[in-house]
Amino acid sequence: MSRVRGALFSTIVIVLVAVALTAPATSQTPSTSPTPQASPTPQASQTPKPGGVLNMMLREDLSQGFSIHETSTISTVWPAMPCLNNLVLFDPLRKTESVDTIIGELAEKWSWQDNYRNLVFFLRKGVKWHDGQPFTSRDVKFTFDMLREAADAPAKLRINPRKDWYANVEAIETPDTYTAVLRLRKPQPSLLLMLASGYTPVYAAHVPPANYRTTCVGTGPFKVKEWRKGEYVELVKNPDYFVKGRPYLDGLKYFVIVERGTRQAAIQAGKLDVSFPGETTKTAAEQLKKAVPQLVVTPYSQNVAENIIMNVKKPPFDNPKIRLAVSHAIDRRALIQAVHQGGAVVGAALAPKPWGFWGLAEKDLVGLPGYGAKPADEKALARKLMAEAGISPEKPIKVEIVTRAIAVYVDMASFIINELKQIGIDATLKQIETAQWHAMATRGDYQIGANLTGIGPDDPDANYYENYACGSPRNYSQYCNEEAMKLFEAQSQELDPKKRLALNVAIQKKLEADAARPILDWKIDFFTVWPHVKNLIPHQSIYNFGRMQEVWSDK
Amino acid sequence: MKTYVVQRLVIALLTLLGMSMVIFTLLRLAPGDIVDILFSTAGYVSPSEKQAIMKELGIDRPYWVQYVDWLRQILTGDLGKSYRYDQPAWQIIRPLVPVTLELAALSTFFAVLIGVPTGVISAVRQDTTLDYVLRVFSLAGLSMPAFWLGMVIILGLVTWFSWIPPLTYVGPTEDFKLHAVQFLLPALAVGYRSSALIMRITRSSLLEVMREDYIRTAWAKGQTGRIVIWRHALKNALLPVVTVIGIEFAFLIGGLVVTETVFNLPGVARFLVQAILWRDYPIVQNLVMFIAIVVILSNLLVDMLYGVLDPRVRYGD
Repeated sequence: MSRVRGALFSTIVIVLVAVALTAPATSQTPSTSPTPQASPTPQASQTPKPGGVLNMMLREDLSQGFSIHETSTISTVWPAMPCLNNLVLFDPLRKTESVDTIIGELAEKWSWQDNYRNLVFFLRKGVKWHDGQPFTSRDVKFTFDMLREAADAPAKLRINPRKDWYANVEAIETPDTYTAVLRLRKPQPSLLLMLASGYTPVYAAHVPPANYRTTCVGTGPFKVKEWRKGEYVELVKNPDYFVKGRPYLDGLKYFVIVERGTRQAAIQAGKLDVSFPGETTKTAAEQLKKAVPQLVVTPYSQNVAENIIMNVKKPPFDNPKIRLAVSHAIDRRALIQAVHQGGAVVGAALAPKPWGFWGLAEKDLVGLPGYGAKPADEKALARKLMAEAGISPEKPIKVEIVTRAIAVYVDMASFIINELKQIGIDATLKQIETAQWHAMATRGDYQIGANLTGIGPDDPDANYYENYACGSPRNYSQYCNEEAMKLFEAQSQELDPKKRLALNVAIQKKLEADAARPILDWKIDFFTVWPHVKNLIPHQSIYNFGRMQEVWSDK
Repeated sequence: MKTYVVQRLVIALLTLLGMSMVIFTLLRLAPGDIVDILFSTAGYVSPSEKQAIMKELGIDRPYWVQYVDWLRQILTGDLGKSYRYDQPAWQIIRPLVPVTLELAALSTFFAVLIGVPTGVISAVRQDTTLDYVLRVFSLAGLSMPAFWLGMVIILGLVTWFSWIPPLTYVGPTEDFKLHAVQFLLPALAVGYRSSALIMRITRSSLLEVMREDYIRTAWAKGQTGRIVIWRHALKNALLPVVTVIGIEFAFLIGGLVVTETVFNLPGVARFLVQAILWRDYPIVQNLVMFIAIVVILSNLLVDMLYGVLDPRVRYGD
């Protein structure tokens, strides 16, 4: 009883102290913010220590369990990746993802044959699924036949968001138990990059794909111990993992914390070791760093672009001049400062250097709509285009701008509305609930919208065919250009990396000049970890570095 | 008494039936369904695939068929399967219920513990400095939302002690001390707000009773202040207070959303909001029915208490 009394008394004291000191607490927000420090790259000189459990956060519960193939959200990929393996993966210890940083996982080696028409994988022997069954080429064929929805596929996914990635795969052959061949219709060297994404794990052929929504039978470094719905997901070390000595950690625990303030308090208090990818804004990182100076903050590209979608089939945006005027009117740099407090960078269709591999450099952006050095000149150009279309700020046109009913979307949309007003477009905001957003956008049931687009691997194919190709359900603007399609094909089949890069520069310039889907900025995440967390290196895509095989704790 | 209880239970059943219709209809009137959300997490929409999933989940059937099916499930004790988790709804709901009940009960306990004595003191010391202080204290409770107070507590703890309560539920048998702390903090935040209401009702009700003739008689007979106030006055002033306590407890069962979210407690209210966002009909429908049952039962309990507190209240047989 005395213990209860004591607890009660101390709690009351805490409440009163907290209330009394609210003002000092809020006034501690820094006015001059420190620039987040880049994390030191892998601590190669340090000897990894085995053991320990890493505590991490989730913003929401797993949306489709561990079924990565049925979803496109990081909330699934992040906690499910440690349970699974790919054929190949972007090296977890290298920051930059490119064809040169791909390492084998379930494939020991691979080889392009027949001028990039056949991709042959030589699989590891002795790999076991978590239920003890052996991993073979049958699992590879099962997974990729299911993904490309082959006529004779033994299983079908309920939702298959990345079917288009495998449109060029003609057949999958398994000459023996440990060899798998992906036969392509035409050369596509970039296919390997998509296979190296966190979005592309191999499923077990003996497990119905629906089972992955509730549990995870993988070959990965960690096994699922418990998933308490809405609370946490716990994984433990896989003692039979095929890479000897890995993983270093004994386990991983992902806590579902819906409230942003609580998440931040949890990392500050040391209850969590790692922030959530794509979660930490520049301001939040600065606050954390001020409170706990030893925290390690690493800025990196989320591979998420803010953009404007304009329905090319509906007036007034069926008029190319008006679309172009809109693109000229938005001051990207002002948006980055006003909405993201500097936590984003300008870029075109692909993440810009040095954050990404393929994007346009700052010098290439100059001259493209909306990227001029003087915003006033850009606005004047926009007004001129509008005047040619018979519209002026004195006689504005009224449009409805749609966006998702989520704060980050609404903030961006509000900025856009203000910019459009200056060129004669009187836009009213319509917030669309998440449940309706994609259906509405796919149907083209809108005029103009403020949108966010996340891209799995930092590769042109993964982006163009999904967001700009004729007929793609994710091409919300319904932009369809024959010349652009030819260029997409050409870069996809180009074997010379330099020529492919040059083609991509041309494509990105064309897409911006056409105002196909004007890109406003690329968001930067300020990934935060405690200093004892080693070898957790953010890449240029949030979807590809969650395997946790190399991560260790120096606690 | 028995007849009264039976009558109330029959009315309760009819209320629940009405509730079931309302919640079923409102859920279907909300835009979108679980399949839209599933596609939203995949970032695209395919009408043919959507149709197939709707059929798989049974939400392509006419509404009345779905409604009758749900009622049949309730009557047979089967709450259906969560659309989102593909698991029996009861399996998911069961661990949430004790968390919310414990938090609501503890909050109500603190509300009474703070509200009734401060209300009594305030009434007895009417228009003194102490009365004013207590009234300001109570007004502050009414003005501060529990979630805000909760967040202040969290921020205060992390700023000054570099500590916050556990991020996941700790059972009492697992670690009682931690369990107690985990519930004490949110219960105090919520209880403080509720105590303000109880304090004000207690004060006004007691002031009214204190002016009654029988209280004057008790004073005239030379009774001590303690006996007059606690035995004669307060007992008679408690009826409206008990009503408010019952209403507050019932409200808390569904109204702890933000507190559960801020303190990351896996309770009914927080889960209900997530289920609504996901249009997980089986979870939402059954959780709302659970809340409705608690509200009805707590109201019934309050009515029963009237008879205990005031012998003049009689239930016709």
